Amino acid sequence: MSIVKMHKITLIGLEKEKSGIIESLMNIGVLDINDIGDTALTEEWTGLVDKDNNEDEALTLELDMEKVRSALEYLNQYDKQKKPLFAPKRSVDALRFSDILKNKDDMWVAVEKISKLDEELAQLRMEENRLENLIASLTPWKSMNTPVELISTKTTSVIMGVLPIAADVKEIFKELSVNIPESYLQLVNVDKDQSYIQAICHKSREEELTRVLKNKGFNRLSFTDMKGTINQNIENSLKSIEEVDRKRETLRGEIAALAGKREDLEVLYDYLAIQRDRNIALGRLLKTECTFILEGWVPEHNINSFRNYISKWEWDCFVSIEESNKDEDFPILLENNRFVQPFELVTELYSLPKPSEIDPNPFMAPFFFVFFGLMVGDAAYGLLMAIATGIVIYKFKPQGTVGKLLKLLFLGGISTFIWGALFGGWFGDIVTQVSSGKFTIPPLWFNPLDDPMRLLMWSFIFGGIQLYTAMGLKGYSLIREGKVLDAVFDIGLWYIFLTGLVLLLVGGNVGTIGKYMTIVGVILLILTQGRAEKNIFKKLTKGVLSLYNAVGFMSDVLSYSRLLALGLATGVIASVINTIGTLLGFNILGIIVLLIVFTGGHVFNILINALGAFVHSSRLQYVEFFGKFYEGGGKPYKPFKINTKYINITDGRKV
Amino acid sequence: MKLLEVLLNGNFLALIGAACAVIFAGLGSARAVGMVGEVAAGVITEEPEKFAQTLLLQALPGTQGIYGLLTAFVILNKIGIVGGPVKELTTVQGVLFLVAALPIAIVGYKSAIAQGKTAAAGIGIIAKRPQELAKAVTFAAMVETYAVLALLGSILMVFGINI
Repeated sequence: MSIVKMHKITLIGLEKEKSGIIESLMNIGVLDINDIGDTALTEEWTGLVDKDNNEDEALTLELDMEKVRSALEYLNQYDKQKKPLFAPKRSVDALRFSDILKNKDDMWVAVEKISKLDEELAQLRMEENRLENLIASLTPWKSMNTPVELISTKTTSVIMGVLPIAADVKEIFKELSVNIPESYLQLVNVDKDQSYIQAICHKSREEELTRVLKNKGFNRLSFTDMKGTINQNIENSLKSIEEVDRKRETLRGEIAALAGKREDLEVLYDYLAIQRDRNIALGRLLKTECTFILEGWVPEHNINSFRNYISKWEWDCFVSIEESNKDEDFPILLENNRFVQPFELVTELYSLPKPSEIDPNPFMAPFFFVFFGLMVGDAAYGLLMAIATGIVIYKFKPQGTVGKLLKLLFLGGISTFIWGALFGGWFGDIVTQVSSGKFTIPPLWFNPLDDPMRLLMWSFIFGGIQLYTAMGLKGYSLIREGKVLDAVFDIGLWYIFLTGLVLLLVGGNVGTIGKYMTIVGVILLILTQGRAEKNIFKKLTKGVLSLYNAVGFMSDVLSYSRLLALGLATGVIASVINTIGTLLGFNILGIIVLLIVFTGGHVFNILINALGAFVHSSRLQYVEFFGKFYEGGGKPYKPFKINTKYINITDGRKV
Repeated sequence: MKLLEVLLNGNFLALIGAACAVIFAGLGSARAVGMVGEVAAGVITEEPEKFAQTLLLQALPGTQGIYGLLTAFVILNKIGIVGGPVKELTTVQGVLFLVAALPIAIVGYKSAIAQGKTAAAGIGIIAKRPQELAKAVTFAAMVETYAVLALLGSILMVFGINI
């Protein structure tokens, strides 16, 4: 239940056997390879060794992966099959894996083809858009039955265009029939923005006519590149759209025909990912002309199997396995029991412990559990959270960060349920509201809405307990480092002083004991806190000033008042929702409103309060708890292994 | 004289208090959430997959508005406008409610905006190093402390007023 001990591996081998060794290490998948490129290149090494630089190759592989990935994405787009949210990876036998990869060239052809087909589909989409726009612009002219290319006869001109709706068309017609009698105007169509006009006039009067119309806001249109009547053009466009649809269907069919390649392409993608990871690993080694050196870490529980594994190697190489000491900067792997494990997430989000530190998770987990539940504090909400996350965990067994988060919420739900039952909150006060005050679910402990001061006191007590724990952990790490005196002076004396203060506040007989404890604590603190100084006056001043830390302790305790504030918030918002829901009484309409408000409101309340509880519980851990004893800054253990996205390669033989 | 009577009416003063709590805390949260949203939208144009993370940061400065509403509700509940016979308050009692609403109204407004700025800067963290979400959230939560304390102050005052 702590940080897993690591063993340091140093391996020196022959350059020509390098790829085989790397492959083999990847298959066992327990070695975290150090990047010794920069650290080991000190003066004495320069000139002798070189960084093994494979970045270019890794980059090329990355680009190839991107191509395959987008091809897979296109295939998924046109694939009707729905995939479940947390689909497990497909298993592929190692033999089958290399079999599939024999057709690599075929797959690349497919990838190219898919991207070409997708490009063509995009072009078809553009063409379809163009045609649809054309139809939309032609439709208002539908009733005009002269061909559009007819813009003049021997003696007349034909003008088409639009007038803004503000212009009075009738008035203009009348005016023109008087002023330019050699003209004929026809109103083709009117919509909410403009009037569509076709005008025919004698060529000699064209200029005058357009001038008059322009003054009214006329905008002349011409249908270039078109022949025939409007209706014919619309029909042609519709036909073209049908054509586009047909083409699209065939293209889709072609892509769908490639859908069978999808599984192969997934294999190809994972193959490329493995190659890339290998190249990245190679970049972490150092090499001379014919040898290479590799450094890394293996967790203690894997070290025996690792030793057996490499003893079967037939390569000529030198391997040393040393136990690490805690001053070394080895990667961090945490090992905790099932209850604590989900809470590792909270620490991971902050920072992993350094190798020399203690794992804070077992101590932090109970506090997070209690605080989260207290801040949400509604039994029904807790049940809902626990059931919902429980089902997802049971059905999909999610791993990694998501898995930890869901388990954390599951445990949080249980804690919320317990606190809710203690406080008597079941969807707030829904029972009281619906029964108009006749029934109430009594709290097992007390209702914080009736007695907030009592919960405030308890919040401070919880805070005090956590702060005392933090100080204890600080003392423990000091003792572990061999600084026993520091632990006694900096932690032990504070315990005496602070406990005395608390007892003094309680008063009575205990208060008298408290008084003496405080006095003893103060005197001892003044005498010891300045011990690092040489000058006797400085020693004393520093000792006196250190008492100011008591203020810091107080403000830390007060910070736990958020437990009360957020706990109250849930209950009050819940009762707001219930009050609004029951406003209309218990007729049919009222019950419908109640159901809608109830569902929507409480879902919102759960979400916002679970978020708030998570953020503020984390904050209490990060600032108040970790701040006392924990530094962090460890780097996570990332074993060099086969890390695939789509498939699991069974039988870890040569791939 | 009629106007003065209204102005000195206890219930009127208490309602002003409740209104202030909702108005100012809500205004602050609205501005802050908007501010974070603008920055978040910029990140989303480039990296739509970061939606959940940025949304989390955007939601953080929204709590002040809720605290304001909460305080208002506690006041309304206490004077019987919600859930019970309305009580007639004296002028002094009305003023007391008004004063009790001030912490969350003022601190809520200011802390929401300050938290919004912190969260908006946190979006910058998400844009460059998405794995550091927890730190961005913690920075914003540091500001929230003072809104929580103001809420606590307001609520304790409201609970403490004798009517």
